[in-house]
Amino acid sequence: MSKPDRRTVLKSIAALGAVAHLGAGPAAAAAGPLLTRAIPKTGEKLPVIGMGSWITFNVGKDKKLRAGRVEVLQKFFDRGGALIDSSPMYGSSEEVIGHCLERVTNRDKLFAATKVWTVSKWLGLRQMKASEDLWGRERFDLMQIHNLVDWETHRDTLIKWKDEGRLRHMGITTSHGRRHDDFAKIMASEPFDFVQFTYNMLDREAEKRLLPLAADKGLAVIINRPFQRGGLFDRFARHPLPDWAAEIDCVNWAQFFLKFVVSHPAVTCAIPATSQVAHMDQNMSAAYGRLPDEKMRARMIAHIESL
Amino acid sequence: MLPFTPEVFFSLFEHYNGAIWPAQVIAYALGLAVIATMFMPFPGSDRVVSAVLAGFWLWNGAVYHLEYFATINFSAYAFGLLFIIEAALLAWTGVLRGRIAFRLRTDASGWCGAAFILVAMVLYPLAAHLLGHGWPQAAMFGVAPCPTVIFTLGVLLLAHGRTPWHLMAIPVLWALMGGTAPFLLGITEDLSLLGAGLVGAVMAVLRNRRLAFHETG
Repeated sequence: MSKPDRRTVLKSIAALGAVAHLGAGPAAAAAGPLLTRAIPKTGEKLPVIGMGSWITFNVGKDKKLRAGRVEVLQKFFDRGGALIDSSPMYGSSEEVIGHCLERVTNRDKLFAATKVWTVSKWLGLRQMKASEDLWGRERFDLMQIHNLVDWETHRDTLIKWKDEGRLRHMGITTSHGRRHDDFAKIMASEPFDFVQFTYNMLDREAEKRLLPLAADKGLAVIINRPFQRGGLFDRFARHPLPDWAAEIDCVNWAQFFLKFVVSHPAVTCAIPATSQVAHMDQNMSAAYGRLPDEKMRARMIAHIESL
Repeated sequence: MLPFTPEVFFSLFEHYNGAIWPAQVIAYALGLAVIATMFMPFPGSDRVVSAVLAGFWLWNGAVYHLEYFATINFSAYAFGLLFIIEAALLAWTGVLRGRIAFRLRTDASGWCGAAFILVAMVLYPLAAHLLGHGWPQAAMFGVAPCPTVIFTLGVLLLAHGRTPWHLMAIPVLWALMGGTAPFLLGITEDLSLLGAGLVGAVMAVLRNRRLAFHETG
């Protein structure tokens, strides 16, 4: 039997009639201004919650599924979202994002971030141009080298593109806690503007080195897998949200998990992925209200470790 | 982890089956022709069987994998190449060199081969229908990898003489890879693919050993 996903767990909890107390209800109304963080090297502000697109936007040609993703993206922009992250590795996600961008409104704040995921300079150039076409963009706000693939080759291309004004920021990514040693060396010595890696309430390895290093080097940090690909919901969402979560304006577990991530001072933006409008609403609600301080963060960790 | 959901996978098949119609009918006609030649072989019929198999593998590689599946799964580029290589091997060995003949047999591997053909053409699509993803979402014989691989394994087990391992290797490999679909995508009928790969490999080994023993006395 497969593990239940967030939707299944929430439906089960709602069925017990305990929605309000168990934090499974809809997102609270926005409390205060949109939370943003500055990109260290430019000062430009980004909302702390962005959107990933691994699996969720890989829907091929299906018209009904694409229409659903248009709604998800519309909710994202309506709730103040800006950074969208994708990659050629994600199947049709880039094409679907481009399709959706043509159909949504309120998208002026879009911060388009994708990746180059191939070997060789020639294939890299070809892939990046293809991404521009798929997104319908003349230039990206951020191009990242995906999972360090042929990174030295692509680094040189990205530096050239930045110099030519073809690209605004360059970055590099890893995930699942892989290759942190290599990644740290690159962060310390290479001229990237952004780095992306995994960090969530269970996977906190990045606290030891990568996050402090990013802060020290003035690198913007995008966090992937903030929910451990749904794993956090599988493990914890059947429990009631603690009452004190209201102190940081959390009414659902998505806010709880995301606020932990984005409250780290070195984090610029987290990029949860979803295919559901209601989940997008919950995710974006983490970009409003109070964030936990150090003491509250410790309390949050202690709480989930007790579950 | 796969980069797509089961919903997207079945949607892709629906779109693919619609786009290539009536190739599925032609594939079945060719499959029946292959079976007919085994009952009534004629001069050159073995090359025809190899040509049909090569054509199936080329279609699955170049059309299904590279044109359709690659839109949702980056691994499809590698799969497509694998299928095209198998097509080339079948064409080289069976069509150009005429080095393989196919005959119905009543030994264990013969029955096994016949059973795989029945599974590929009849039982697999029936199971898909009963499990809720029949036409147009079903993987159809000849134009989709899984039933085509099962069919190929069946036909190769009916090869006269030793089962050709250089032609078995890629189908067995695909059967092991594709045999994860029941667990990753809920495509239960692909358990038959996994079974065909494992049983087919064992049958081929046993048959080749038995023939080698007889040859050496």
